[in-house]
Amino acid sequence: MSAARTAILDRVRAAQRTALIPGASDAGRVLSDPARSAAEPGAGRVLLDPAKLLAKFLAELTALGVDSYVEFSAADVRERLRAIVGGKSVLAWGAGELPYDAGSVTADAAIGASARDVQAAAEIGVTGCDAAIAETGSLVVLSGPGKPRTASLLPPIHACIVRRDDLQPSMGEFFARRADAIAAAACCTFITGPSRTADIELTLTLGVHGPGKVIVIVGP
Amino acid sequence: MNAAGGFADRVENALADSHLRAALDRATSQLGSRRLLALATLDDSDAVRDAARAARLGALANLADNLERFEAKLIANGAQVHWAGTPAEANAIITTIAKRTATRRAVKSKSMVSEETHLNHALEREGVDVVETDLGEYIVQLRNDRPSHIVAPIIHLTKQDVARVMEQRLAVPYTEDTQQLAAIARQHLRREFLRADMGISGANFGVVETGTICLVTNEGNGRMVTTMPRVHVALMGIEKLVGSMAELDRCIKVLARSSTGQKITVYTTLVRGPRGPGDPDGPEELHVVLLDNGRSRILAGETAEILACIRCGACLNACPVYRTIGGHAYGDTYPGPVGAILTPGLRGLRGWNELPHASSLCGACREVCPVRIDIPRMLLALRRDGADDSKPRSLGPAMKVFAFVASRPRVYRGMAALARWSLVRLSRNGWIRRLPGLGAGWTKFRDFKAPAGRSFQQLWRERERQKGRAA
Repeated sequence: MSAARTAILDRVRAAQRTALIPGASDAGRVLSDPARSAAEPGAGRVLLDPAKLLAKFLAELTALGVDSYVEFSAADVRERLRAIVGGKSVLAWGAGELPYDAGSVTADAAIGASARDVQAAAEIGVTGCDAAIAETGSLVVLSGPGKPRTASLLPPIHACIVRRDDLQPSMGEFFARRADAIAAAACCTFITGPSRTADIELTLTLGVHGPGKVIVIVGP
Repeated sequence: MNAAGGFADRVENALADSHLRAALDRATSQLGSRRLLALATLDDSDAVRDAARAARLGALANLADNLERFEAKLIANGAQVHWAGTPAEANAIITTIAKRTATRRAVKSKSMVSEETHLNHALEREGVDVVETDLGEYIVQLRNDRPSHIVAPIIHLTKQDVARVMEQRLAVPYTEDTQQLAAIARQHLRREFLRADMGISGANFGVVETGTICLVTNEGNGRMVTTMPRVHVALMGIEKLVGSMAELDRCIKVLARSSTGQKITVYTTLVRGPRGPGDPDGPEELHVVLLDNGRSRILAGETAEILACIRCGACLNACPVYRTIGGHAYGDTYPGPVGAILTPGLRGLRGWNELPHASSLCGACREVCPVRIDIPRMLLALRRDGADDSKPRSLGPAMKVFAFVASRPRVYRGMAALARWSLVRLSRNGWIRRLPGLGAGWTKFRDFKAPAGRSFQQLWRERERQKGRAA
C-alpha cells in the first residue's frame, strides 16, 4: 500500500479526534434506529398502494415530456413498438433481454456487439428496463450481457419497454428490494426524461448528449 | 490564485460589470424559486434533509474506517484505488494511468476536484488532449475562462457570449438559438466521446457498503464518459462518502431539488466496477483516485462540518454577496458561502482571510443548505482566526484617548460638535465617500452615513423647551 494512503489515513484518524462535527453521535443514533431508517422519509404514502403506482408513474412521465403508451398484451406492445420505430435504424438490446418478443421490429437492429460507428448511427434505441420508479418517472437499467448501455444513450430517440410488475414506488424501495441485482451489475443507471441542459441562460434545451426524446411503452 | 489582483480588485471589477449583475440576478433568483417548488414535492422535506445531514456527518465522524471499507469494496468489485495527498500527486497518478493505457484523448465530465488540481493542464503537458463535455464547462474551456458557479458554470455569460465563442472557436455560423447552440456542441462532442481513450469524472457520492460511485448529470455526458472510453478514472475528495444505499437515496433526494429544482437529475449513474463479464460495453478499467488536499486538516478543526457539503450550489443562489459579485471574485475553485469556508480551509487562511468577511451573516446560506451546514458559525470562527495576528498596535493608546475624552462631558461635547461639523462638510446627499486619516479604512469599501444635523442632546433640550412652552 502506498505511502500516501498511510499518511492520509493517519491524518484523518488524528483529525477525527479533534473534529468538531455537530450532532455526529446523534446522527449515528438516528440511523441505527430501525424504525427510523426503515421508513423512507419524504416518500408519498399513496405509493404504497399498487393500484396507484401506474397512474403516478404515467403522471411523472407526462411532466417530464415523455410520451407513454399502456398496452394490454405482448402483441400490442410489439405493434406499438413497430409504429414508433417506423423505418428508423435501430440499436437494441438482445432479443432475450427485451421483456416481450419484438419479432421482426428488432430483427435487423444493431446490438451491443455491432461496430461502434454502426451503433452511433442508429436513429432509435430500443431497450427494456430492470425497474421503473413511480415517484420520479425514472427508468432503471442495470448493465449486463445483451444489454448495451449505448442503446439508451447514443440514439436521438430512446424507446423503453416497461413491464407493469417492474414498477417500484421509489428509488429507496428499489435499492432495498433489488440490492442483490444492483450489486451484481457493473453499472446501474436511472434515466429520468430526455437529456437536458439549462447551462445557457437557464433556457431548457433537450437532447444535448443523450436522447432528446424518450418514449415509454408499459406492457402487461 | 488564477484571478488577477486582490479580492477588493476582483469585487470592484464585478460591481462595475452591469452585464454580469443582470445575469446573476436573473439566474440566482430563478434557481432559488425552483428549489422551493421542488422541496415542496416531498411529504416532509425537513425529515429528508435531517436524514441526509445525518448520513453525511455520520460518514465523516468515522471517515478513516469508512475510507478503508470503501476501498476494500471497490477492489473486490474489480476497481483500482489510488490515494493522493496533494493535487500534484493526483495529477501524477492520472497521467501515469494515461501513459500506461496509451491514452491520447480524454473526455471529462464535470468535476470540481479536477479544477482544484488543474488536471487538464497536467494531462496536456503529457500530450493528452482533454475535452470538457458538460456544455457549460465546454464553453468555459473554449473561452479559456473559469466556471463561476459550481452547478451552472457559465451563469456569468449571455447566449450572445456563447454564440460568439462557438462562432470563433468552432467555425460555425453565428446563432443565438440555444437549441442550435446545444446541437452544435452535441455534434462536436459526440466525435470526442466516440474516439476518447479515457473518461474522467468526479463523484457526487461514494457508497461505503457497496463500493459504488454515484454521478449525477442532466446532459448525459456523465454516462458517456463512464461508458464509451476504455478507461474510466473517477477523481473524488475523501469526504464524499455515505454509508449505505438507503443514505445515498436521502442525499440524492435533496441534491437535485436544491441545485436545479428537479426531483432527480435526468441521469443518475451508479458505477460499481469495470465492465462485467459478458457486458457488451463499459470501461475495461476503473480507477478511483481519492484526494485529500487539505481535507484532513479541515476535518481536524472547527470547520469540519463544511465537509458534509454536497455541492448543490443553493447557498450561492441565496447569498446576497454572491448574487452581487458572482463567482470569479472569490478567486478560487469554490465560490459563494461554501467557498468562503472551503477555500481558506483547503489553501490556508493566509492570503484568503478576506473571504470569510464576504458575508453579511444574514444566514440565508444556512437556511437553504440541504444538509443544514451552519455556515455563519464557521465564517465567524474564520474571521476570529484571521484577526488574531492582525490586532492593530495603536488600539491601546487610542482607547486611552477615548477614555480621557469620554469621562469629561465638556470635552466630549466639544469634540462631538467638532466631529459633526466636519463630517457634515465632507458629506454629499447624506453620505461620505471618503474619510481622512484612520477613517479611510472604512470608506475604502463602503460609504459612511453623514451624521444628523443635530445631536441627541440638542434634540432633547429642544423637546424639553417645547414641553415647557406647552405647559
